[in-house]
Amino acid sequence: MKIGVYFCNCGSNISDKVDSEQVRQVIETMGDVAYFKTNDLMCSDDGKAFLHEDIAAENPDRIVIAACSPREHENTFMRVLTGVGMNPYLMQMANIREQVAWVTDDIGEASLKAATLIKGAVKRVGFHKPLEKKSIDMSPDVLVIGAGPAGLKAALTIAETGRKVVIVEKRPVIGGQPVLYEEVFPNLECAPCMLEPMLNDILHGEHAVNIEILTLSEVVELTGFYGNFIAKVKKTPRYVDLHQCIGCGECIGVCPVDVKNECNNGLDGRKAISLSFAGALPNVPFIDMSACLRARDEECRLCEQSCPLGDGIILYGDVQETVERHIGAVIVAVGASLYDAGLIPKLGYGRVPDVYTSIEFERLLSSTGPTGGQLTTRSGRQPKSIAIIHCVGSLDANHKEYCSGVCCQSAFKFNLMAGHKLHETRIYHLYKELVYPGKEEFFLYKRARENPNAAFIRYQNIDRLMITEEEDGIMIENTLSVDGSIKADMVVLCAALAPAKDTGKLNEVLDTTADTYGFFEELHGRLDSARSKVRGIYIAGACQSPMNIQQAITQGMAAAGYVLSGLVEGKQLDIEPITASVDTDRCSGCRVCMLLCPYRAIGFDDDSRKSSVNEVLCQGCGTCVAACPAGAISGNHFTNEAIYAEIEGVLA
Amino acid sequence: MSEDTLLDTAEGFEPKIVGFLCNWCSYAGADKAGGSQKSYPPNVSVIRVMCSGRVDPQFVLKAYSAGADGVLILACHPGDCHYKEGNYMAMQRHRILLRMLSEHGIDSARCRFDYVSAAEGDRFIEILTEMVDTIRALGPMVSDNTVGNKIMVKRS
Ligand SMILES: Cc1cc2nc3c(=O)[nH]c(=O)nc-3n(C[C@H](O)[C@H](O)[C@H](O)COP(=O)(O)OP(=O)(O)OC[C@H]3O[C@@H](n4cnc5c(N)ncnc54)[C@H](O)[C@@H]3O)c2cc1C
Ligand code: FES
Repeated sequence: MKIGVYFCNCGSNISDKVDSEQVRQVIETMGDVAYFKTNDLMCSDDGKAFLHEDIAAENPDRIVIAACSPREHENTFMRVLTGVGMNPYLMQMANIREQVAWVTDDIGEASLKAATLIKGAVKRVGFHKPLEKKSIDMSPDVLVIGAGPAGLKAALTIAETGRKVVIVEKRPVIGGQPVLYEEVFPNLECAPCMLEPMLNDILHGEHAVNIEILTLSEVVELTGFYGNFIAKVKKTPRYVDLHQCIGCGECIGVCPVDVKNECNNGLDGRKAISLSFAGALPNVPFIDMSACLRARDEECRLCEQSCPLGDGIILYGDVQETVERHIGAVIVAVGASLYDAGLIPKLGYGRVPDVYTSIEFERLLSSTGPTGGQLTTRSGRQPKSIAIIHCVGSLDANHKEYCSGVCCQSAFKFNLMAGHKLHETRIYHLYKELVYPGKEEFFLYKRARENPNAAFIRYQNIDRLMITEEEDGIMIENTLSVDGSIKADMVVLCAALAPAKDTGKLNEVLDTTADTYGFFEELHGRLDSARSKVRGIYIAGACQSPMNIQQAITQGMAAAGYVLSGLVEGKQLDIEPITASVDTDRCSGCRVCMLLCPYRAIGFDDDSRKSSVNEVLCQGCGTCVAACPAGAISGNHFTNEAIYAEIEGVLA
Repeated sequence: MSEDTLLDTAEGFEPKIVGFLCNWCSYAGADKAGGSQKSYPPNVSVIRVMCSGRVDPQFVLKAYSAGADGVLILACHPGDCHYKEGNYMAMQRHRILLRMLSEHGIDSARCRFDYVSAAEGDRFIEILTEMVDTIRALGPMVSDNTVGNKIMVKRS
């Protein structure tokens, strides 16, 4: 085997401290090296040209470059090798600048150490194998889970480039949480006016042909890997033809069944066939089969009979089905949910009638809500005073330790919206901390403060608050002091944002991970917050961390950006060759490797009882290689033989 | 009885130490030390691995059998491993390795596991210098040392 060594002077950075002649003498005694050449600055254009020409002339089997850190110029030299037609992995660098010249005073010592490192590299490089980058086809299509602001913005951004997007939404409506709001902070703009253009773009816009929306659906299985995932989606029947129904609502009026409307948190009723709320999109009702008389074997066909389009729109025969979609990437945007205020029993939620969660209160303020936007107590009275409790379950080691960052803003929004509806009503803000970062947010706080009927009261610990029902309203006591009590007709609990209900289940389906609080875990909190730890699965919106609409939209676009830059139509996925591979003859099927792999890149064949490595998912860390008790796994480029040889080389 | 008690610390003894450094934090930390151009003892030969999780205990044994007086394994700090958790594996393996080494009378100070981030050039120098001093004080491994060979589990 012909091995050549190239020694770079690095200007004088290396040659000032390392005597290349002395090094040459040591290396030549090894007997393994065919030639030893020096160059003044190998990374310069001249240096690269020299390397190119010299490799072409010498035609070595392997080379060692003794120069700077491989972290600096390994890629540079690999490109030179590729250019001259030599496999780039047949090279090893010896770091004689950062690890020798710059850190060793004595020239003799430095030269000796440089020779030592080069010996290691020479021994090692003999075991290098030519490696090829592989590439495979990728599907450019994308699955978006959750049709809130984050998911919809991502879907729209991707669909605008002509890509196909499948949106899976578990509810019958799209738009996420904000479709439940009348107005949005920080500027109290009209929520439907803000959202509907986007929702219409999704449903009927120029790029709607690229978007498939599966409502009342859930992803139940995801297999494959980046570029080639297969998603199984369970579709609960809507019993109404989504494409033909014109949403006139005739069917709803004739339905004889009344049930509680979960969309308004049970504060009002709906029919067995209904829309979630007036204006819900898609504007197509659904039948709740758990309530429909037909589920009880009654021959009711009132809704079908009332349909002005005739038969075929109401589909009693609709069945649950599981559909498959082949996609290249997944964006998870399932949002968050409110922390359960019932977990702080003293606050009276569920026990005292006029204690509401913030979302319920949003619905009371909404013109499509249970009271048509009239702010009244359950007994139909106008509240003379409303107590808004901030930080419910937030900033609290017994509940959620973090600050959700949106609850104060929603509380200020409630203050102003209630003030607009009822001019005399007193508003109490009971808070632990007040938070309003951002360029627009302080302004809302200021306006809430300026409400002449508003009072701000700080409490220390939510466990000290005791809410009870009195004959003439609700009593909120601060059990720490005697005079610390307030009377109110309504109480609003601004609870922390917590992970959405099925986050754990979805994490299992997707093989993604949850953070300490149960939110979807990002790859890196600052650098890569829209990426999960699984390649090709991105996360956007409040499922990653509590956030407001602006942030959710931005993160949706970030996730779309990753998809658009990484998963390009017609482009193949490059697979780095530094991965692990299993020698099936030696594999004993113990599966230790599977337990250790942080990327779930190792699969197991039940028939042959052998493990195998998925090269797309493998990141080449080598943890499994070191762990395999049978020595059946080897790590490309970092094989045991190569490393043993390097060890022997540096100690020889 | 430790093998070290069998030896008197040789005059002019220069420890030979092999350092296994993960590419992402520790190796970058060593580069950072290089960048700051502060001199440190030349006794450690660094072998780059992608992750400390790749460090097979047999690498350590191999180093001893090939004549190393000490081995240094440096990893990303807990929680920072580029591959999520390779450093936890490395840390656990190191613990087991120390037990094995002590059964063979090798002082646990001859195999040090520590964390160095990409920013901690000074910490790299500190750990390295300490290691060299420690090994210098312990003296060389027995010259015809076969400890590594004896406990190397042959897997091929
Ligand atoms: C009371 C309150 C008031 C707020 N007011 C404002 C405001 O005025 N201005 C503002 O900027 N922010 C406000 N926010 C914050 C705002 O609601 C969030 O920032 C926003 O909803 C986040 O959008 P998202 O797309 O991440 O999630 P979401 O809006 O929650 O949407 C997630 C979607 O995913 C669906 N989904 C959930 N699980 C699954 C599943 N397993 N499979 C399929 N689909 C699923 C859900 O049904 C939903 O449609 C408020 C929050 C609260 C609690
Ligand atoms: S990459 Fe540094 S320890 Fe894993």
